[in-house]
Amino acid sequence: MARPVIEAPPTTPAGTWLEGEELARRAAARTRRKRLALLVAGWAAMLGIWQVAAYYLPFGTLPNPLEVSVEMWEIVASGALVSDFLASVLKTFAGFGVAVLIGAPVGYLMGRYGYWRAFFLDGVTVAGTIPALTYAVLSLIIFGLSNLGPVLAVALVSTPYVALNVAEGIRGVDQNLVKMSQAFGRSPQQIRREVFIPTIVPYLFAAVRMSFAVAWKVEALTEVFGGTNGVGFQIRTRYQLFDITGVIAWMALFIVFMLLIERLLLRKLEQRVLAWRPEERAAR
Amino acid sequence: MTDTLTRRRSTEEIARSRPAWQRRLTSDRAARLTFYVVAFLFWIALAGLFERIPGPPSVVDSLVEEFRRGEVFGNFADTFYRFGIGVALSVGVGILVGVVIGLSPMARAFLESPVLVGLSIPAIMWAFLTVMWFGFGHTSPIVTTFLTAVPFVILNVAQGVQGVSRDLRDMSSSYGVPLGRRVRELVLPAVAGYVVAGLRFAVIMGWNGVLLAEWFGGSGGAGYRARFWYDANQFAGFAAWVVLFVGVIIILDQLLLERLSRRMFRWRDATH
Amino acid sequence: MAVLTVNDLCKTFGAGTARSNRVLDHISFDVRGQTFVSVVGPSGCGKSTLLNIISGVETHTSGDVSVTSDEGRPARLGYVFQDPRLLPWRTVRKNMLYVQDKDDDQARRRVSTYLDMVGLGQHGDFFPGQLSGGMQQRVGIARAFAVEPDLLIMDEPFSHLDAITARGLRAQLQDIWAQSRKTVVFVTHDVVEAVELSDRIIVLQPGGRIFEDIPIDLPRPRRQSDPAVATLQAEVLARLEKMKAITPQAATAV
Ligand SMILES: Nc1ncnc2c1ncn2[C@@H]1O[C@H](COP(=O)(O)OP(=O)(O)OP(=O)(O)O)[C@@H](O)[C@H]1O
Ligand SMILES: [Mg+2]
Repeated sequence: MARPVIEAPPTTPAGTWLEGEELARRAAARTRRKRLALLVAGWAAMLGIWQVAAYYLPFGTLPNPLEVSVEMWEIVASGALVSDFLASVLKTFAGFGVAVLIGAPVGYLMGRYGYWRAFFLDGVTVAGTIPALTYAVLSLIIFGLSNLGPVLAVALVSTPYVALNVAEGIRGVDQNLVKMSQAFGRSPQQIRREVFIPTIVPYLFAAVRMSFAVAWKVEALTEVFGGTNGVGFQIRTRYQLFDITGVIAWMALFIVFMLLIERLLLRKLEQRVLAWRPEERAAR
Repeated sequence: MTDTLTRRRSTEEIARSRPAWQRRLTSDRAARLTFYVVAFLFWIALAGLFERIPGPPSVVDSLVEEFRRGEVFGNFADTFYRFGIGVALSVGVGILVGVVIGLSPMARAFLESPVLVGLSIPAIMWAFLTVMWFGFGHTSPIVTTFLTAVPFVILNVAQGVQGVSRDLRDMSSSYGVPLGRRVRELVLPAVAGYVVAGLRFAVIMGWNGVLLAEWFGGSGGAGYRARFWYDANQFAGFAAWVVLFVGVIIILDQLLLERLSRRMFRWRDATH
Repeated sequence: MAVLTVNDLCKTFGAGTARSNRVLDHISFDVRGQTFVSVVGPSGCGKSTLLNIISGVETHTSGDVSVTSDEGRPARLGYVFQDPRLLPWRTVRKNMLYVQDKDDDQARRRVSTYLDMVGLGQHGDFFPGQLSGGMQQRVGIARAFAVEPDLLIMDEPFSHLDAITARGLRAQLQDIWAQSRKTVVFVTHDVVEAVELSDRIIVLQPGGRIFEDIPIDLPRPRRQSDPAVATLQAEVLARLEKMKAITPQAATAV
């Protein structure tokens, strides 16, 4: 007998199917638990290595994690944290503001006009590869011991990132939208406001997030070299007193704080501004 | 009522309306040349405005002077020795760990936090600590270079391997290609680009690290020599060293790694 | 009323390079005011390019293209692109207001009217990413209508829509045109549609020359069921078959 061309699908009892789903869910939960355990193990291993190293290194050159956390707690409790953190964060953001004010227009020009791209490209590339140390010391030479030094260093380090990212963003602008605007007789200002700027905003955020990771380190570095307040200044003071516990405690607090700013503040802001993107909306 | 005419201009017409000298003046080469002239004038203006910024003549003088004293090659030899070992170590370890992370999600869960912490520890921290631990000598700058560079290599390599491993799983099961050929034809070409990208990061980060460690250490090298002039308040001498170590990193990055990276990423650009 | 003049128009992409590609080859035609012209031709023969040049978003290589308006101001253009081309970061309503010269009550009213017309009155505050492809295309159509253009350019506006929606919008287009009598240049693959809507059909052949310029002299409003319409449709199709026979590249035509 000829077999029918279209066979009935093999019937599966509903129970088996549900069981399968249950199994898959359980497997996923197991994987999640295993991951979490490994994550904790990662932290434990790190602290363990630190502890062992502290034990074997000459006395006083590496405090163990417990000593550092006690010191961190003391710094937090003493309230010194607030003023110095505030100083450092303000300087970082000020430098950042300058970087965006200069870098964004430069990137805009580079993205839109071949002439300006050729003009700025070498300079921006070179500025992006210069070691941070150079910027820190240079800023000190220019401004001496003042709050402007760290601001300038942050600005110098971040501007190339911002410019390159914005340029990249502009080059990624959907030319069809530009053509559409021209066909409907929109003015260059309108096209800039409605097409170009919304396109570069995500790139600008990427640039800000990327360079923020570098910027606050340079800010601290400049303060170490010649700050009058701020986290870097505290680190230098402790270092000069050979108080390694203090140095590490301040640094650890700063790292935690900056990661928090990056993760919470910048991400939230980004989500708010980019609400039109379908994937961002879904995530909310 | 009057008629209003909207005429569309053709390319031929536009080309005719722009004279040759104008086109030459707005060419890419002219733009780059203009930039260098403007940047140079800007430096001179800055030097004129701020007393503490040395102008081009005094920097060139100090540069010549340093070469004449024979300080340049000796110090750079030291720096390169430390930097080379540090970067080589970080690339070796970075590729190894990066491949492991890229292949196994469990290794990723375990190693993710240490790498993230490593990424966020500033080079100055390592410079301080290693000087305390190992004293003045080669070890401190080498370890600083290694520790600042290695997280970036890991991150890049892991990213590359992760991208490939998915395709690899699919393909290996469907075609039964022998492992050796699979690695040669699929994994290496795809990962090589990311390795070079990681190497670039390692070079840029490591260069900063080695200079910082030398700055705070006391055993010679480019960073040490730059600090010597800085402490002596001789900013022209400092600037001469800045010119040197910025020049070196640009030669390394642009002439070597940029080209290498473009070669390695050829497959990716060709698809556009 | 707007008048369109195209004289000896040539367009070569990548002129002077190895990949130089002549798309339009010495094209001349006029569109008098208050005329509905369709352009048909096989895929890739340069229809969209022609519209882009007329609207000024693409520069032609040589020849003359001009739009004359007797309203005492430059001719206002409406363009329905082959794809929706909406700003993804603006809501539907803001997208339509973007191309209005003034953001006043009148403009808002026009936007609402035409959104209702394409059946999207409820979707004014949606982002384009939240609409289906066909809905986005309808926003594109409403946007072009809402500027009340002197010269309306449409590039296969209905080809992405289902048959029923397309038929409704085609009837709307006929009505609007009957009332306002704007000058329209309309690109389509669909000869039936072309005969139903236009006063004239310009047939482009591969290589970008005008193969034929067919006047359609039928009373309006036209209905598919009208035998005169059906006869003419058959005739135009027959002529296109002839073009296929002459120009072998057109084997995949309309
Ligand atoms: N920006 C461009 N650069 C180079 N070639 C192009 C460009 N735009 C279009 N072309 C070429 O011009 C020719 C005509 O394209 P066009 O889009 O005008 O065709 P069309 O008639 O609208 O086709 P369809 O009916 O498929 O929309 C094609 O061969 C295409 O390859
Ligand atoms: Mg087309």
